Order: sequence, then C-alpha cells, then structure tokens
Amino acid sequence: MIVCVAVVGHQNNPLYIQSFTEADDALKLHHIVHCSLDVVDERVNNPKKTGPLLNETFLGLLYPIENFKVYGYLTNTKVKFILVTTDLDVKDADVRNFFRRFHAAYVDAVSNPFHVPGKKITSRTFAERVSTIVKSFGLSSAV
Amino acid sequence: MIGVGKMKQYTNVLDKPLTKGKQEVSLSAFAFLFSELVQYNQTQVDNIGELERRLEDAGYAVGARVLELLCHRDKGNRRETRLLGILSFVHSTVWKVLFGKVADSLEKGTEHEDEYMISEKELLVNRFISIPKDMGTFNCGAFVAGIVRGVLDGAGFPAVVTAHFVPVDGQQRPRTTILIKFAEEVLHREARLG
Repeated sequence: MIVCVAVVGHQNNPLYIQSFTEADDALKLHHIVHCSLDVVDERVNNPKKTGPLLNETFLGLLYPIENFKVYGYLTNTKVKFILVTTDLDVKDADVRNFFRRFHAAYVDAVSNPFHVPGKKITSRTFAERVSTIVKSFGLSSAV
Repeated sequence: MIGVGKMKQYTNVLDKPLTKGKQEVSLSAFAFLFSELVQYNQTQVDNIGELERRLEDAGYAVGARVLELLCHRDKGNRRETRLLGILSFVHSTVWKVLFGKVADSLEKGTEHEDEYMISEKELLVNRFISIPKDMGTFNCGAFVAGIVRGVLDGAGFPAVVTAHFVPVDGQQRPRTTILIKFAEEVLHREARLG
C-alpha cells in the first residue's frame, strides 16, 4: 500500500506531496520525506563503489523506518521523487516501473508553459495521473 | 522536430501503418511564431541588449523543459555529470530533437579554459530573418543561446551563453557561433572528478 509520494525540487524545496491514506498523520509523512532527503544527498555525494553507478537515476530502497519503506529516484535536473510504502514484499521491478510512469507524468506537468519551475505543481491532471499510477501499483504487486 | 517529412505513398489507405503522431512541426509555422515573438518583444523594449535578454529568457524556459523531456525519453536512466558528456548531449541529442540534425561543430576555446563553442552554418531560427544595419550585432540566435543555457543550468552546469555572428570567407551570410562560458564551480568540480 503506497502511503505517500513526494516530488522535491533541486534545492530540496517540496514541489508536490500527496498522501494516500486517511488515518496517518500528514505531518509524520512530511517528516519522513524530509529525512529521506538527507539519505539521497548522502548517496549522491558518496557513491558506493559496488553500488549503483554515479549517474544512475533509480536510487532504490533508501531506508526503512517503523513499518514504512522509502524509495528514492533522482532525475537529471536533481529533482527527487520519494515513495513511502507499507508493503513488505515489494519487487524492485515494480518500483522501477512506478517511478518510470511517475517520471512521465512529471515531465508532462513541467512541460506546461504556465508552470514556473521551482513552484509547487498545481496541475489537476498531474494529481489524477498520480492517483491512477498509485492505484495500479497496489494491484500489480498484490497479484 | 522541425523538418521536411516524406511520406511513403500507399495505394490503399488501410495499408498505412498507424503512426505515433507527427514528430515534426512545419517550418513555416515556427517561422511565423518566432517572428511574432521577436516583434512582440521589440515593442516592449528600448534597446538591443534588453531585446536579446528577453529572447534568451524565452529560450531558457524551453531549454529547461527540453532537458526534462529528453532525459526521460531518450537517455534511459543516466545522468550527465561530466562536462564533455553534457556538451556532446547538447550538441547532438538536443540539436537533433529541436532542429532535425546535429550541430555543425563543437570546439574548445583557445584563449580560456572555460569556453566552448557550438557553430552552425545557418541557425534554423535565423533562416528567414535579416537584421537591419542599425541594429548592429543583434542576433536572434539569442533564443537558441537561451535554450542551451536552460539545458546546462538544469543539468547543474551554470554557464553564460551568447550567440555571435562570425563572418566566413566565401559565404554571404556569416556563420553563427554559440559561445558557452562555464562558471568557476563547474571547472573546479570537473578538475576534482579527474
């Protein structure tokens, strides 16, 4: 079950945060996303020699916290996508697929000439597409 | 994106393959739009420097979006961290998508370490434009310079990019050169990466 997705700009400013559970405290999710930014920076600045290459976009599992797992993805313009999920058995391929579609939706939202880079993403279409992707992620990994 | 599309002639329209949609925009449509852009900006400013800056800002917005789009579409999942990498990306991939061909040449400047030049015999945006004598060295290629600056900035290589005319013997119209001057930090980082 995906709990929350977030898009963070290249100066670590939040561009889009959306949570998909009713019960959880939104503030706690914001806090988790914020903490994961440190992990992303650490991964980018000190690449593990055996880990992903220096210029790989998918960062993988960043860190587990309580009963959540946090996945990260870094685009070419230092924009980060953060995914928080409560699933225990998440396949790597599923998460990569999710981020690929999320990236496509993000690129479409940014191509909007009225969107100011650095400001929050206010497009309703983007929000709908993200909800669709999130719903289908839940289904594919349940099978 | 801009170019001449040639369609194979099919005898039966049902035999035509389903297209992905046209990837190209007609050159004349773009030329009209660009001329309107230049004219609109011309009425808003008093001097040439301001006009060049406005065109460059317009190009900057395009460049930022082109970078996002291309990195998602073509580059798979690689992020450019090296100077030569990003320059060759601009020189080939970006030019191919925008103008339908790779840029004519990419050179390293001789006087300074941080200067690189991309030259083009005739910039597509300048094809239907002739600059009146009293505008001096104004070049509508400032739009393209803005695009390059947008791409470099988004990828983390801050630079100052300008467009210049370079007269060439044997040709009536001068060649256009886009001069890219990288910021200090880019060179330091490049030196550190080895």
